[in-house]
Amino acid sequence: MGAAAGAAVERPRRPLVWRRVRSGSVPYLLVLPVVAVLGAILAYPIYRLVRISLEQYTLFQLRTGGIYIGLHNFDSVLHDAIFWHTLLRTVVFTAVCVGATIGGGTLIALLLVRVSGWVRILVSIGLVLVWAMPPVVAVQVWNWMTNVQNGVLNYVLTELHVGDYFGHNWFQTPFSSLAMAVTLIVWGALPFVAITLYAALSQVPHELVEAAQIDGARGWRVFKDVTLPVLKPILYILTSLSILWDFGVFTQVYLLIGQPAVVPANYVMGVYLWEEAYISSDYGRGAAISILMLAIVAVMSVYYVRRMVRVGEVE
Amino acid sequence: MRYRVLAVVAAAVALSVVAATTAQSSRAAGHTLTVWLQVDAQNGWPQVVAAANQAFESSHAGWNVNVQYQSWGDHLQKFDATIAANDTPDVIEMGNTEMTKYMAAGAFSNITADKSQFANSAQWLAGLKKSSMYNGKLYGVPYYAGSRLVTYRTDLFRGAGVKKAPKSLKQFESDLAKVKAKHRSKGFTPFYMAGTDWYSALSFVYDYGGSIATFSHGKWHGALASKKSIAGLTAYKKFFAAASPKSAATLNEANPAPYTVFSQNRTAAIFGPGWFSCCTGKKYTKVTGQFVMPSHKAGKSMPGFLGGSDLAVPAQSGSQAEARAWIADFTSTANEKALQAVGNIPNATNLLNGTVNDRAAQASWFVPTAKHWVDVENGNILRTMLGQILTGKLSVKKAAQTASANISYTLNQP
Amino acid sequence: MRSRGLPRLGWNVVGLALFAVMIFPVFWMISTSFKTTDQINSVTPTWFPLHPTLQHFRQAIHKPYFWADVKNTVIVVLVAVGIAMVLAFLAAVALAKYRFTGRKTFIVLLIGVQMLPGIGLIIPLYVLLAHVPVLGLNLVNRLAGVIVVYVSAVLPFSVWTLRGFLLGIPKELEEAAMVDGSTRLGAFMRILLPLVAPGLVATSVFAFITSWNEYVFARLLLNDQSKQTITVWLSYYTGTSRATDWGGLMAASTLIAIPVVLFFLLVQRRIAFGLTAGAVKA
Repeated sequence: MGAAAGAAVERPRRPLVWRRVRSGSVPYLLVLPVVAVLGAILAYPIYRLVRISLEQYTLFQLRTGGIYIGLHNFDSVLHDAIFWHTLLRTVVFTAVCVGATIGGGTLIALLLVRVSGWVRILVSIGLVLVWAMPPVVAVQVWNWMTNVQNGVLNYVLTELHVGDYFGHNWFQTPFSSLAMAVTLIVWGALPFVAITLYAALSQVPHELVEAAQIDGARGWRVFKDVTLPVLKPILYILTSLSILWDFGVFTQVYLLIGQPAVVPANYVMGVYLWEEAYISSDYGRGAAISILMLAIVAVMSVYYVRRMVRVGEVE
Repeated sequence: MRYRVLAVVAAAVALSVVAATTAQSSRAAGHTLTVWLQVDAQNGWPQVVAAANQAFESSHAGWNVNVQYQSWGDHLQKFDATIAANDTPDVIEMGNTEMTKYMAAGAFSNITADKSQFANSAQWLAGLKKSSMYNGKLYGVPYYAGSRLVTYRTDLFRGAGVKKAPKSLKQFESDLAKVKAKHRSKGFTPFYMAGTDWYSALSFVYDYGGSIATFSHGKWHGALASKKSIAGLTAYKKFFAAASPKSAATLNEANPAPYTVFSQNRTAAIFGPGWFSCCTGKKYTKVTGQFVMPSHKAGKSMPGFLGGSDLAVPAQSGSQAEARAWIADFTSTANEKALQAVGNIPNATNLLNGTVNDRAAQASWFVPTAKHWVDVENGNILRTMLGQILTGKLSVKKAAQTASANISYTLNQP
Repeated sequence: MRSRGLPRLGWNVVGLALFAVMIFPVFWMISTSFKTTDQINSVTPTWFPLHPTLQHFRQAIHKPYFWADVKNTVIVVLVAVGIAMVLAFLAAVALAKYRFTGRKTFIVLLIGVQMLPGIGLIIPLYVLLAHVPVLGLNLVNRLAGVIVVYVSAVLPFSVWTLRGFLLGIPKELEEAAMVDGSTRLGAFMRILLPLVAPGLVATSVFAFITSWNEYVFARLLLNDQSKQTITVWLSYYTGTSRATDWGGLMAASTLIAIPVVLFFLLVQRRIAFGLTAGAVKA
């Protein structure tokens, strides 16, 4: 008790860590509920998913049970040109979404700190309203805004003399369609990042900032030396989460492009998975794709995840 | 502290278990028949559902019907999950193009022996009956159908001097030209059709005697590249170029909806399901009329795509006899007449009564009843082909050959 | 960090401009709910309905099971978020403040779970919940089933995020707050909780909104309209094969967004800047 507090005061650089002696079973008890819940709900489905990926499991086998075929599903997917094209497209798509989301979210959070109280509340409510909009509604509003005949996007761009966008079809090419999807997804993802970062910013001590400013540091220096270290753990988390979600995104892209216009040329991985698993009813293949997606996204996010895990490991 | 942690954990677990084991609603004593109908029934004809439930419950004491409404778009994914968990409903409504895949997988019970149990079964509409049969056996009961019509502005047509519905495609084209001559405002076309709307476009193919695919010698053969089909596609291309806006060449019928274009006064005629007349805008409700699309052969109708639904009994249902009884109650003559009254086409020819809707059902076409037809639809093979033809990216022959090869390949998958 | 005077005015202008751009689609949704169907479909868009109509709202509220489904959603979300926050906080404390074997494995597993595409798990999860082993329950068509799925969905990122917030608490604050308290776990909680309150609130808002808007599993698991959540209720608007009632959909969505905003307003003061001001003694 007193010894521990004394130890903390003696070595001011270390974050507070409890002595091993007293830990004993406490941490295990603390994580037990989470382990129990996740284990109960996810252990069996994950086991089933892995098993299905090794089986021929189509509509017929839903009733009769899967037939073991080893790695055939994986083989088939990895030899499918569509898989590789979709993968490349999705990696680029994810990078753009994540970059815009994290960058934009950070700027908004920093802005929130600097504005008056009433503006902050207004912007926060705005962000929450954006966050709360159901995807199907947001997609329809996007459709209205990008409408070929009377969409506000064409109208504004033409009025601003960016070019003649009268009658421009934003869903003509896969690139353009996915660009629209990017704007929708980033717009919907900004609130979470902005509000979470703003909460993190509130943990940055006044005094340290003012001390640094008194020392003559300005703007970027203050941000780098004082603010960023506090934000780092959260930024790693948000980046990792964004990579995971944007890589696997399905609903917004599928609804925005619309089932009649979805073709392999504008697939992203989430849509590809849906088409293979549920539309073609090849669940074995879908399971294989799911596992491959997990492996790929793990590789994509490993840098941030490692940082995130390590942040608490300073000795 | 440690105990407090344990207390919190225990409370959370207890709460969850209590919530899980407490009955959410008192289960009615006796048996429940679970029926999956699409939400169209709840919106459009709830009284028909109520009548069927009442008839069933009064003849089956102790039974209670639980109708669970589904949405198009994800009802099949839900159904698949219930099949895997052996938890299927007792009756399910399926779109007629969705049936074949599930019949081939053995998801439904064979009800051939019970056909006479259902009203008017000897006179079922050919298109719907076909969709309920697989390998000569019956797996579903036709529920209702919908065909395609031309919905048009009576005032604009009359104003252009067109007094009667056209009797041939050629006449229709000249009528549309007359309308076009009278209304030259920017953005207005005499006819609006989404270029890739294959439900409408392929009517031209069937009108010329072509088809999408044929089955012979145990294999499917794509037929879009046949002479007749190509004649039909060429006729479609010509019709589209003359009457429809170029910008619609690659659009689909979901966005924008043709009736929305109609209500914006941007067109004088659209081609689609009969219910399009619901949504042509308050201003034009009184001047909305319908007629059957004429064939290129004078005096005949162009075959329209016969959409619709069937009702099937999942093989895993534990209440087979009761499920069939409910379906019989639901598709009774009285109920079919009620469906007809709200704008649907009833399931039997003896119930047709000469409305424009029913007349459209006389000449119809349907998709190949192949296990993998759904994959052709979802692969958007037909849409791609139509887009290529209308934008001139590929010649009709080339586009049709590519599509035909794709269709053969897809339909012949194991 | 707060700007004063002229710079502050400048930031306010930027803030308001940001608000206008971000909120435009929401504004479009809300204004459309007051337009007549003809105005919604007209070629020239009506920016501001001068004669607003309440018919869409009226029809939405009178559609079957609106209130029942709102009630279901509130129950499901509050219970799921409540349970998840408690469990996640406990686990986050363990991960951030204790050193124990298996800690790294645990956090990697948590991340791994998050990496699985949810839609891939639909069928196996349904099979599990339809016949829960050991307990022999059928959790399909039950709010409890959905609650349990939502708790699992929300736990991983909640644990991560809370761990991140806990790690981000500058040690000076902890030490200063520790000076007058004892060092047992309970006191630990008392100290950490207020310091991490902003993070807890932000995470709970996220958990709330994620659960509120969740559709796929609610659709899958809830069959009776009396038991469904509001996102499923909403999906019937676009689930018909006939014309979609856009005015109704927009009005209903506007109504549904209100509880979320209320929840946020209730908790947002805890994300307030300057909470730490009083914690550090000179």
